[in-house]
Amino acid sequence: MRGVLNVLIDSLLAAGLYATMAYGLAVIYGVMRIINLAHAGVMMLGAYTTFSLFTRFSLDPFLSLLVVAPLFFGGGVLLYRTVVRRLPRSGGTASIESLLLLFGVWLVLQNLAYVIWTGDTQSILTSYTLKSVSLLGVRVGVPALLVFGMSALSLLVLEFVLHRTYLGKAVRAVTQNRDAALLAGVNADQISAAAFGLGTAFAGVAGGMLSTLYAFTPDFGRSFLLKAFCIIVLGGMESVTGVAAGALVLALLENGLAVWTTIPTSFQDAVSFALLFVALVAFPQGLPGLFTRLARRRAVR
Amino acid sequence: MKSTRPSCTLLVLASALLAASPTLAQDVIRIGAVLPVTGKESKIGGAFKAATEYAVKEVNDAGGLDVGGKKLKIDLSLLDDTSDASRSAQLVEQLMAQQKVHAVIGGYGSQLVQAQSVVPDRYGIPYISGGAGATSIYGRSKWVFGVLSPVENLATTQMDFLSDLVAQGKLKKPLKIALLAENTEHGKDFQKGVKDYAKAHPGYSVVLDESFELYAADFKPLLGRVAAAKADLFMCDAHLEDFISMQRTYTQMGLYHQMLTYGARGADEAGRKGLGAATDYIFASGWWSDLLPYPQVKAFAAKWKAASGSAPQWYHATAYEAVRALFAAIRKAGSLKPEAIRAALAAIELRDSILPGGVLKFTKTGQAVLPFVVTQNKPGGKVDIVWPKEARTGEPVAPMPKP
Amino acid sequence: MKAFPWVAGAALGAFALAAPLVLERGTLNDVWSLAFAVILASAWNLLGGFAGQVSLGYSAFLGIGAYATVLLSLRGMNPFLTLPLGAALAAAFSVLIGLPAFRLRGPYFTIATIGVGEVVRVCASSVSFTGGSSGLRMPPGSFDFTLNYLSMVALAIAVVALAAFVKRSAFGQALAAIRQDIDAAEALGIDSTRFKLAAHALSAALVAVAGGLYAINFQYIAPGSVFDFRLSLSIVLMPIVGGVGTIAGPVLGALVFSTLQIKLLSIPALRDSYLFLYGTLLIVVMLFEPKGILGLVRRVFNRRLRRFYADA
Repeated sequence: MRGVLNVLIDSLLAAGLYATMAYGLAVIYGVMRIINLAHAGVMMLGAYTTFSLFTRFSLDPFLSLLVVAPLFFGGGVLLYRTVVRRLPRSGGTASIESLLLLFGVWLVLQNLAYVIWTGDTQSILTSYTLKSVSLLGVRVGVPALLVFGMSALSLLVLEFVLHRTYLGKAVRAVTQNRDAALLAGVNADQISAAAFGLGTAFAGVAGGMLSTLYAFTPDFGRSFLLKAFCIIVLGGMESVTGVAAGALVLALLENGLAVWTTIPTSFQDAVSFALLFVALVAFPQGLPGLFTRLARRRAVR
Repeated sequence: MKSTRPSCTLLVLASALLAASPTLAQDVIRIGAVLPVTGKESKIGGAFKAATEYAVKEVNDAGGLDVGGKKLKIDLSLLDDTSDASRSAQLVEQLMAQQKVHAVIGGYGSQLVQAQSVVPDRYGIPYISGGAGATSIYGRSKWVFGVLSPVENLATTQMDFLSDLVAQGKLKKPLKIALLAENTEHGKDFQKGVKDYAKAHPGYSVVLDESFELYAADFKPLLGRVAAAKADLFMCDAHLEDFISMQRTYTQMGLYHQMLTYGARGADEAGRKGLGAATDYIFASGWWSDLLPYPQVKAFAAKWKAASGSAPQWYHATAYEAVRALFAAIRKAGSLKPEAIRAALAAIELRDSILPGGVLKFTKTGQAVLPFVVTQNKPGGKVDIVWPKEARTGEPVAPMPKP
Repeated sequence: MKAFPWVAGAALGAFALAAPLVLERGTLNDVWSLAFAVILASAWNLLGGFAGQVSLGYSAFLGIGAYATVLLSLRGMNPFLTLPLGAALAAAFSVLIGLPAFRLRGPYFTIATIGVGEVVRVCASSVSFTGGSSGLRMPPGSFDFTLNYLSMVALAIAVVALAAFVKRSAFGQALAAIRQDIDAAEALGIDSTRFKLAAHALSAALVAVAGGLYAINFQYIAPGSVFDFRLSLSIVLMPIVGGVGTIAGPVLGALVFSTLQIKLLSIPALRDSYLFLYGTLLIVVMLFEPKGILGLVRRVFNRRLRRFYADA
């Protein structure tokens, strides 16, 4: 088949970034059942912050991620403490209020960006932006490779945190069953704050990475937000591997369609959303849920 | 029951607020403008705003505009449509219906101008736009004028330039073209221009013809198709953001074509900033360049640089010229009556125009059809005009050197 | 006393209908926009407020109505006759997506509707028979503002009246039961899917008619404006800010947003802060009074009443 290697490598590289983007959304939803529409705005801010660090202090965008991550973690916790925590909770189920509240935050963030950086298109040009290397015969841009490396690294760190630290275990516990976790003595408020901070940090880092690849304006982020939805539905929200799997499926679909069919690429988005819809209806627990169900069925037989 | 009373009171109060109308100032020329100052088109929308305000200030600083012997100041109402088409149309209606402007300066962007352009007919008020070249906007209403020449001509001018290179022996036919365009009116007109030319002229064939969504960001899959098409020329019509993202991916993928163009993009400063050496040898055609060898262009570039601190881009020039054409028409009409202004605009011949060709006049459809310039980027941040031949400031380099 | 809201509503409606004789064109334009917003907000409220199913994909129905009207008008049909056809098309589409989507609960349903809205938008901008991304224009001539105005206002009055009627009917009560506890409602014998589909179809049809009237008045439509996700968001914002699930709530919300949109945008000083104001309003409402403006007003009023009776 023509270009299998091309599709695999491009998809893998894209999936890393997608997974980082999606995880930020997943952790907030998993712990607090809040659909964070401000995620797009945070990614956009992450991109602009990286850009400012680059133009003001000549800090390499990838190094600046080390600044962006803790900065946005703090910002997320602050946002949670001042605004999100005050939301009237409806017994652990997601509310439309949280959705609209965070949409409001997104609008405010956009306005902030317009005022600070104007609506001009910006981009980051470093000495290695235009360079590329050959990977197994496939030409790959250096920034894309670095982004994948950074994504893989951050997801590995995340896996470590989730499985080896108390915070991580508490986050997973609340995601699986909030009430049981509370009974087990988990401090819901602290965990929620940490989860929000974590989600925001990931969004900021994803935005920073996006800024090395593409040009951006304050309107940036919406299409990525919708892709992130797709991924968390496909991959479920319980594990990093689930999100990574969902990201890979989406990336494979996008690249595969472009190479092996003649469907215009403008339809790409429609395909992703159709996939989202089908996934929601057919297997709402995501692919991991589907596999578990299949495994269970086989075990019963 | 009782609790609905407050909501009713609120409703009545609000209706009163809506019914309040502003008082009209006399003895001024009321000009309205609706531009995308924020939102998707904000970059050029903001530039249009600056140029429009500059043009108005220039006239007001000189004492005002001479209308039938009296010098009147210009009162500019500039509104932001946030790049939303329905809001754009609503604001134009508001300017025409409530503020009773004498003329409206249109916005930037084919979709926004399309939405706006249905309104002037209802009120019989002249409307002129420096920001939309789509042909389908013009010819429907006698009140709508446009300074930008049709986008199809942008494409055919590029093709004429390429044909000249073939005549000079720099390129050899047959030439296969990979054609991409953004999914907008502008992009579609560009595609039509190229395809019609290829059909009419032997030796050109379009081997790939695709549209992409605005601000799509990830162009890897699409450029993969371009690579597979193995074309000789790559022609693409895109907005600045997409131009930067696409050309980056193009360079990283190591793609090569004998000639490369992004429609009107390429010579933009912002493009050079975002792509560095990757913009070298890209050719572009546009509605204006500050390198045009007319004295009025040099004068405009100088005073713009003095006023704003940077060199004028094409959108500053077309916006400025649209306002200037409107003012010239008002002066010629000698009155503020809408029909008089409209008739003056339809018949106008601005002989010291900064636009290519040096003369601005409108065709029967209300759109100006003027020559385009083709520029080519040279290494070291230099830009040369390579077409039309009379305006040439440097030799075109074809085919592009391999990276 | 119970008749008061009906009387007040009828009076306002009558004033709005008679307005072309009194108010000038610019203000009538604003009232038209307000009526349009009222229809969208109240129609959405039927499913979102009464039944509690939050859909973020309503721009699809607006677009279907608008495009049906323009496409059929371009083929020679009287624009106003295209309206019921657009409504029927939208209702059918709503059932088509509702059948699978209503199996989902809460936010999953919401996310699914976002997906549907985006798919419709992409298809409309990529397919040539809808004019693609350049949009379509209504056939020239036949623009009659007074007629457009009266039809939009009349529809707005009709929709609000219909909402009031539905709320008090058995249908409305079933929807309320579904909103409060869908499992309990099912246990009581209510086929929740059927009721949800019915409410969805009714509101989709109304939104589509509004879309058709929009096309008739604006004369030019494009996927970017009628199928935009931001539009879906504003359709949800208006009833929520005004008071979700009530009758006057969507109307109030529509009023707040159309005023914000037209009046504030024209003030140059506030231009840069438009998004900030919109966003802060949302944040404040969601934090302090999720029942919207109407909820706030009722709270204040009830407190006054209680104090009045306590002192007596």
